[in-house]
Amino acid sequence: MAERLVLVVDDDAAIRGVIRAVLEADYFHVLEAPDGHTALAMLGESANGDRPTVLVLDVMMPGIDGIEVCRQVDHDSTRVLMLTARNDDATRLSKEAGADAFLAKPFSAVELLDAVESLLMR
Amino acid sequence: MSGPSDAPFPPDGIADTEALQRQLEIFAGDVGRLYREQKERAEQLEDALSTIKEAYLQTVRSLAFVVEAKDAYTGQHLERCRVYGLALMDAIGVSDDFPDAEYGFLLHDAGKVGVPEGILGKPGPLTAAEWRVMRTHPIIGYQILQGIPFMTNAAEIVRCHHEMWDGSGYPEGLRHEEIPLPARVFAVVDAFDAMTTDRPYRAALSIEHAAGEIELMAGSQFDPDVCEVFVPLCERLPRYVA
Repeated sequence: MAERLVLVVDDDAAIRGVIRAVLEADYFHVLEAPDGHTALAMLGESANGDRPTVLVLDVMMPGIDGIEVCRQVDHDSTRVLMLTARNDDATRLSKEAGADAFLAKPFSAVELLDAVESLLMR
Repeated sequence: MSGPSDAPFPPDGIADTEALQRQLEIFAGDVGRLYREQKERAEQLEDALSTIKEAYLQTVRSLAFVVEAKDAYTGQHLERCRVYGLALMDAIGVSDDFPDAEYGFLLHDAGKVGVPEGILGKPGPLTAAEWRVMRTHPIIGYQILQGIPFMTNAAEIVRCHHEMWDGSGYPEGLRHEEIPLPARVFAVVDAFDAMTTDRPYRAALSIEHAAGEIELMAGSQFDPDVCEVFVPLCERLPRYVA
């Protein structure tokens, strides 16, 4: 696993761009995927040495949604931080799908960094 | 002669989303950088603080050893009192409330620097007058530590380490909760260590035997609640302290 490699999965390019900017400033390497299908393909093709340590995963996406992606991830090698909308039951569903942490949108940059950093330390 | 339609900027009120996005990403990067810098600074401070704490502890140890060297040499008694005392404070769940307790455990006899060597090292029993002098050492120790910042609890331990739960101790004959908790903790671990190490006049007692003695004195010499936590704990204490 590449220690500080994060895959950001969100269908909104603007959100991905902001998340990337925050994470890169804290010395993370950032990959992006615009949908669940691409994300799973990227994870599947990555060798052990360059598999993202943390997945920042939006729940609401067209096609394969975040919960389904989370269910299919290899949780031994990748931790999942779920981005949810407030007051939805996605948090419960994500938990069942094996998500390690949650952030409700809109979130603060510091919350995001704290969450990703603490997933690394586990 | 250009009309509004030729302006290089979007009309007022309509966002240029690309420009907005670029600006937002720069701000986001700033936050990430500040986060990283602040974290590095916090780590540096933590390192520096732990170095200072270690140096402080080592200094306190040295001071305590000076007194011990003047008094009867009791091996690693001071260090065991510190380790046992910390373990017991931890088990009770109050370590964080008394961060300087370990200094008090080490320095409990610091006031003996004020007791003449003729009394400290006297082979036979002390006279009543000599006892009066001997019994000043908690107060002398307290006065030595009193003004030092971060030593408030430690000074209280030194002052009260010969007080007993039932009020029969000295120098003030305090009883029950009048005696600060760390001093009540110290009384138990000090007695335990004295019993479980060899002394010139007797061999060390077994841990079980010593624990039994502590239980017998719960409610008279010692705080019964402290004893209740200590007795099951004493089996698990580290036997040798480096």
